[in-house]
Amino acid sequence: MKIRDQVKAFKDGELSRRDMLAGLAAVGVGVATVPLTGRGARAAAGDATYFTWGGYDIPDLFQPYVEKHGAPPSFATFGGSEEALTKMRAGFVVDVAHPCNQAIPRWVSTGLFQPADPAKLSNWSDVIPSLYQLEGNVVDGKPYMVPMDWGQTSITYRTDMVDLGGEPESWGILWDEALKGRIGVIASAGDAWWCGAIYAGVPFEEISTDESFEKVAAVMREQRPLVRTYTDDMTTLQQALASGELMAAMTWNETATVLKSEGVPVKFAEPKEGALTWVCGAIIHKDAPNVDLAHEIIDSLISVPSGEFMIGEYGYGHSNIKAFDSFTSEQLADLGLSKNPDDVLSAGKFQIPQTQEFETRMNQEFENIKAGF
Amino acid sequence: MADSASLSGPAPAASASRSAGLARTFRRSETLRGYALLSPTLLVMALAMAAPTAMTVALSFFIQTGFEIEATFSLQNYQKVFTNPIFEALFYRTLWISGTCALATVLIAYPMAYYVAFHVHRRKLVWVILMTLPFWTSYLLRVFAWKVVLGYNGAINSGLMSLGLISEPLEFLLYSPEAVIITLAHAWAAFAILPIYVSLEKIDKSLLEAAADLGDGPMARFFRVTLPLSMPGVVAALFLIFIPTFGDFVTPALVGGPDGLMLANIVQKLFGKLNDWPLGSALSISMMAVVTCLCLAILWLSRKAKERLI
Amino acid sequence: MSRAAAFYRPNRPLLVYAVLYLAFLYAPVALLPVFSFNDSIYAAFPLQGFTTQWYADMFADEAMHGALWNSVKVGAVAAVFATILGVFGAKAITRFRIRGVKPVLGVIMLPLVIPPVIMGVALLVLLSQSGVQLSLITVTIGHILICVPFSIVTLMASFEGFDKSMEEAAADLGDNSWWAFWRVTFPMVFPGILASLLLCFTISFDEFIMAFFLAGTEQTLPIFIYGQLRFPQRLPGVLALGAMILTATFVIVFLAQWLRGRSPGVAQSGSE
Repeated sequence: MKIRDQVKAFKDGELSRRDMLAGLAAVGVGVATVPLTGRGARAAAGDATYFTWGGYDIPDLFQPYVEKHGAPPSFATFGGSEEALTKMRAGFVVDVAHPCNQAIPRWVSTGLFQPADPAKLSNWSDVIPSLYQLEGNVVDGKPYMVPMDWGQTSITYRTDMVDLGGEPESWGILWDEALKGRIGVIASAGDAWWCGAIYAGVPFEEISTDESFEKVAAVMREQRPLVRTYTDDMTTLQQALASGELMAAMTWNETATVLKSEGVPVKFAEPKEGALTWVCGAIIHKDAPNVDLAHEIIDSLISVPSGEFMIGEYGYGHSNIKAFDSFTSEQLADLGLSKNPDDVLSAGKFQIPQTQEFETRMNQEFENIKAGF
Repeated sequence: MADSASLSGPAPAASASRSAGLARTFRRSETLRGYALLSPTLLVMALAMAAPTAMTVALSFFIQTGFEIEATFSLQNYQKVFTNPIFEALFYRTLWISGTCALATVLIAYPMAYYVAFHVHRRKLVWVILMTLPFWTSYLLRVFAWKVVLGYNGAINSGLMSLGLISEPLEFLLYSPEAVIITLAHAWAAFAILPIYVSLEKIDKSLLEAAADLGDGPMARFFRVTLPLSMPGVVAALFLIFIPTFGDFVTPALVGGPDGLMLANIVQKLFGKLNDWPLGSALSISMMAVVTCLCLAILWLSRKAKERLI
Repeated sequence: MSRAAAFYRPNRPLLVYAVLYLAFLYAPVALLPVFSFNDSIYAAFPLQGFTTQWYADMFADEAMHGALWNSVKVGAVAAVFATILGVFGAKAITRFRIRGVKPVLGVIMLPLVIPPVIMGVALLVLLSQSGVQLSLITVTIGHILICVPFSIVTLMASFEGFDKSMEEAAADLGDNSWWAFWRVTFPMVFPGILASLLLCFTISFDEFIMAFFLAGTEQTLPIFIYGQLRFPQRLPGVLALGAMILTATFVIVFLAQWLRGRSPGVAQSGSE
């Protein structure tokens, strides 16, 4: 009936939107040039807030804190640490957040965080030093990120589907033509690029040189046609390994632990070239409203009970050396860990923090490769 | 004032003659009364959207260096958007995926909406709600379910293999652009059915009787009366599906695989890991402009089609 | 109606199509109840045996209950407000010939084309500049904004071609505008309003990225579920929840219909 009117209204509305935008641009210059961290959007009043992955928002990791305050801190959760950083850059203020080592230089250079005071952490003396002595992490004896959980990035493969033919385990599994279309790879360059470097034989000290960059890019390109999916979530990889959709995938420790406990025949490889070691931890926001409570949150996270929970339930390593005491050597070996965590740490390859320029270049190149260029 | 006048109806008799005159002007002017009625919606939307829109536009002309955003005017971002072959390839893929998805969803939903509007006489409400219920389960769960259906060892492949129709599992069913289309077509089904149903429902049935009296058969009645009168719903459904799916990033990330990435995934990454908000803004604005042009084309086509049908 | 009934007699091919279509809609979600009783944390065939453990997990998981309840609240409030704004907008646009309304309409439709990540970041920047505390209210506001275009477009299809004279007749009989709307317009556009409410609730209930940027410490269900992706152990609980939501909504709808028993479907009032 009056369809033409409606149609016309819609059409013209769309057309003149650009005029609207032009008018608004002036306002926009104002908004966009205001420093991104103004007064800040607080998460909650009174209580201290911990901004972390779902799964870390449980009382088990905060036993000393709960004993003292009767309840765990408030939680804000994220699914990926990059979107968490974006949210904080847009003005979200928390007390403590949860980054990982390869992102530390980037997080620190945003100017959004302050170092923790080891004097306020009763468990600091039990923290494994190699986990926090990362480039750029410690300033004047004060660490930005207090390490909490650590583990390996390696290959989880279906023992009933992948035939190694007597060869030792190697990163070559993820470049094996025989597994074409049945390989899963972590979408984040922070994991994948470094694993590519291990496979390409590039020493981590030289990873930022142009020659190494091209070498790694070449192996990532070589791998791309074999890959069924790139994903950032371990659940997708686990589900696909369980259903047989994937025969091998780049994963963290706990994937293999959980799959095995569900009766799926898998193994977490110990590649002859070495696995990639990662460490994540807690960092205090520059504008944290509760700095003392923030330290208490961190102290709880690095306490022995939290460590026992991390190791026993999630299959991760923990930064508190004493947390390993309540496990037998066999139990730890099953998880790819050890009574003497430094054994594992020194056998693995530790990511070396890189400059912002390198990170951006690496991320861009990897996105291009994933997109097929 | 305009607002209260439109809501409280005739001006109180006791008011002065001048205000009565104003009220008369107001009641005569369609534009004024229209804006009065529109004002709550318009105010809310304009206030809330001004800053995000303005920020996006402004950012798109700035330059990112490290974590700093330099507020100098530059067209460099737009230049990147229009010269980067990746964006071009992803643009065509995105267009193909969301276009196919919108068309397919509307086509398969139309008979369903038609059935409910014309052939269900009791408990229509139940039918309408039945068609939205599946979407109240988390999208992530539905994606997991789709993976079980479409996967390498999934229900479809197992079924086809046991029937002997294929000897090798079909790999393109999952982690592919096709998987994105199927998943999206399912996810947006309600957004096609409901607008079409609403426009069919309010068709004056006497028009159909009149057409029948003039000797039109069922097909002629459909093409001469029902379809043209339901076009507002069809066009609405096309927009409601095409526009959001053009900007979707969740589905491609979950089921698209390496070849199923879409433009919005890049926008998402530019605001995250790739850390270039200005380029992300420029890409978004370019996407918005293109979507707008495409919508105009749909409108133009639908108007032409309607003119021909009537 | 008897003559009209000739057009609307049962149409068997169409009925078959409708059933097939419903099967397409329900096939994937019908798997959720199946896997919610499967004794494995993975949703994959073959099934591993029967368990009710995931339901026990679900009932014990208070964070999940909180997230579900938050999502229901946000979804309901956002749907109602967006639909009210949608009614004003759609009514104004279809009832009056408004000069210069087209650019204005563009502003209202903006949230449909702006990528949600940008909406989320920009609104968060705005909120943090003004020192607003993030909460479910900020999430709800964000969801109202993205729902309004959906509501308006759906309602425009409903208001379009609406017979003005009916409302004017009601007004002539002494009803004021509100009464005329309530007694004449509302029943006729009820299918549209219902559709708008359903669509808006569905959008809000499933929306992740805006909710992520605008939420404080209270999370909505999608934020909770995406947060579980790192540790799949808790995912079967979510699966059980999905199955429960499906079952519960089914039961409610059918119970409501059964209670209304003799009265015809509400949506039919439009053809009275």
